[in-house]
Amino acid sequence: MAWNALFFYLLGIISVLAAIGMVTVRNPVHSAIFLVLTLFNTAGIFVMLGAEFLAAAQVIVYAGAVLVLMLFFLMLIDPQKLPERGGGHPVQRIVGPLLGVILFLEVAAAIANRAISGTTGNATPENILFVGGSTQALGNVLFTQYLLPFEVVSLVLLIGVVGAIVLALPERLGERLATISLGHPRGTDLALPEGPATAAPITRADQQATGELEATREIILVRDPDLYTGVGSRKSGDAGQR
Amino acid sequence: MDQPIWLTFIVAFIFMNVLLVGMAYMTWYERKVLAAMQDRVGPNRTGPKGLLQPIADGIKLLGKEDLIPAHADKVVFYFAPLVVFVVAITRVAVIPFGNTITVFGHPVNLWVTDLNVGALFLLAFGSLGVYGIILGGYASANRYSLLGGLRSAAQVVSYEIVLGLSLVGIFLLSSSLSIRTIMEQQTRDLVFALGPLTLTLPNWFILSQPLAFVIFFLAAVAETNRAPFDLPEAETELVSGFHTEYSAFRFSFYFLGEYINMIVVSLFAATLFLGGIDGPGADRFWGLGILWLLLKVVLFLFFYIWLRATLPRFRYDQLMGIAWKVLLPLVLVNIMITALIRLIGNGQLSF
Repeated sequence: MAWNALFFYLLGIISVLAAIGMVTVRNPVHSAIFLVLTLFNTAGIFVMLGAEFLAAAQVIVYAGAVLVLMLFFLMLIDPQKLPERGGGHPVQRIVGPLLGVILFLEVAAAIANRAISGTTGNATPENILFVGGSTQALGNVLFTQYLLPFEVVSLVLLIGVVGAIVLALPERLGERLATISLGHPRGTDLALPEGPATAAPITRADQQATGELEATREIILVRDPDLYTGVGSRKSGDAGQR
Repeated sequence: MDQPIWLTFIVAFIFMNVLLVGMAYMTWYERKVLAAMQDRVGPNRTGPKGLLQPIADGIKLLGKEDLIPAHADKVVFYFAPLVVFVVAITRVAVIPFGNTITVFGHPVNLWVTDLNVGALFLLAFGSLGVYGIILGGYASANRYSLLGGLRSAAQVVSYEIVLGLSLVGIFLLSSSLSIRTIMEQQTRDLVFALGPLTLTLPNWFILSQPLAFVIFFLAAVAETNRAPFDLPEAETELVSGFHTEYSAFRFSFYFLGEYINMIVVSLFAATLFLGGIDGPGADRFWGLGILWLLLKVVLFLFFYIWLRATLPRFRYDQLMGIAWKVLLPLVLVNIMITALIRLIGNGQLSF
């Protein structure tokens, strides 16, 4: 029992300290690392409470996927160009702390009223053991009693995914295909001018007239690399003929 | 079958050291197999057949200068390689190497812990390992490293989904997430009566989930950043990617982590799809069970090296295309079919 208490305090203290670190450090990548630490320690507390599935799901979904994607763009922020401490839009500076205080008061009120304990459900340790474990118990409830909310949540997530794809789609299909086939970032090679998709195709002459061609690298399409490099095929041995 | 905690620690200690020695000889094995495939000799100077080469390599790596780039994010740079290593080695805790045996009168479990979400534990820690790569790439203050880290982030997140979903079929068939339970279910025999002759097959999940097995292995290769999916460390374009700036034993932690991950993934695949310790005579003598497991692992590792020797590296958009447009739909179809068959088998669905 003493070991349990020790581990609980260890996990709890680390997760609270990491949460404080997450909001106080300036570097966004460090902030994300602290958030991972918080999530991981909270998952540890879930394990101690016997909710192994919840812990694994938290680590897989939040620490393993969501924060990895957040790091994806946080890493691209130049740490030299971060705003000063206390900077930001005036509205944010007023509303942000206000919302924080409201949240804190809510949580404090909930704990003070013991509303957080609620009424005891039928998920007693004996019942959980009867269905074979907490994972099975959770699955049973999720797919019978809470089936509709579960499906609604997945529908909302699906709409979010479709919306993100629509926003990320380039306006012109040609541009997208060129980007994909070359593996270069958008616009670095072709530099297509903006315009409606129905406009006439832009020729090289058009680009030369606007001076766009000089600014970009030319794409060389050759069927036979030997023709371009001037080196004959070694296998056939006809190097001299070209 | 509870055992005192000190005994578990001893078992874990032995596993860890066996894994480290196995990793060292994995490098020797890889170089020998690659050499044979490329018609070379491979390491042959240090010890008989080059068997002392891994030890010499280890000493060389420890003796090198530990360089840190001037603009590096120092703290992150220090601990990023450790994340890869620690996470990789923790994953072996849920893999069973056998049943309970008796040593000097003590019953000893040949596994460290039997979590009831063991398979999810392996997936969760696999997804944490990517932090070492991403943060290492970020902290190096080097554009190539950063690109390697970015590639790794996108690649691992994509293939993790495929990896997890490829196992859902097994979870449906076995009604369990515990690796020991899944392994025990595979030790039963399946007997088919085809007219006069009866066919006895082991109940290995590779036979009932062949598609899932292939997809699992592909995704596992991608998740361990091995060729042909080794985009994060592509030598030709990124100068080794995320570990360009790492040297000495910080580099060796990345190296250790990658190879241990390969071994753990092979153990995982062998346990979930090939019956783990199951094999002829394994139920009579526990040593034979470990031998069967090791044989299966060596087979998987051979496949890893074979892929590296044979296939060129994918282009980046091909890599993402395979995960999202090919493997993900296939794995979803696999889940639907498995669920339907399970429903019909339970008699919950009739036509």
